[in-house]
Amino acid sequence: MSAARWYATEASASTSGLRLSFVLPHQTIYKGVEVQQVNIAATSGDMGILASHVPSIEQLRPGVVEVIENANTTKKFFVSGGFAIINPNSSLDINAVEAFPLEDFSPEAIRANLAEAQRTATSGSSEEERNIARVEVEVLESLQSALGSK
Amino acid sequence: MSFAWKAAGISYLKYTQICARAVRNALKEEQRLIAQRRDEQGLKFAKWESGKQGELKPIDSAMGNVSV
Repeated sequence: MSAARWYATEASASTSGLRLSFVLPHQTIYKGVEVQQVNIAATSGDMGILASHVPSIEQLRPGVVEVIENANTTKKFFVSGGFAIINPNSSLDINAVEAFPLEDFSPEAIRANLAEAQRTATSGSSEEERNIARVEVEVLESLQSALGSK
Repeated sequence: MSFAWKAAGISYLKYTQICARAVRNALKEEQRLIAQRRDEQGLKFAKWESGKQGELKPIDSAMGNVSV
């Protein structure tokens, strides 16, 4: 290894777009599909990823992954958490445990589950139960705000 | 970076499990029924001796399964 440093080289001209792979343990949503931009909710903050992005690994919050396929098509998924790996060659790998299009969620179920989780978070019988409920409240509040801004 | 769940002694695996369950339970009926089949995963084992199956024991309790 030489001590010289280089700037990250740009992706070759043949791969001008961002290649997205978005996989769940039970399903492949995108497999090396060229897209324009992907917006993710990382634990370090919300970020938009375009081609030739600086390589990075980001932990995903329970939140929305927005895939801008082209100027006309944008798809929004709610993911329960996972990782996004931004590779040096303009490819992006997103791994999540669960991901669903926003229209698959039931606002009534979210409201009911949120009320239940909030109740357990404050008056659950054990500390463990309350901690679990606090995580659920966080997820459901994020889900609710995601649906609200659809 | 500090996370509330981590401070509460919840492991990352358990945290993702709780999040995934909360997401599944918020789905519309049709999708929820399919998704919930992925929820419960356990492991059972039995010792076979001279061609006979021994007692079948679930060993999921040690795997950090969340009991709700």
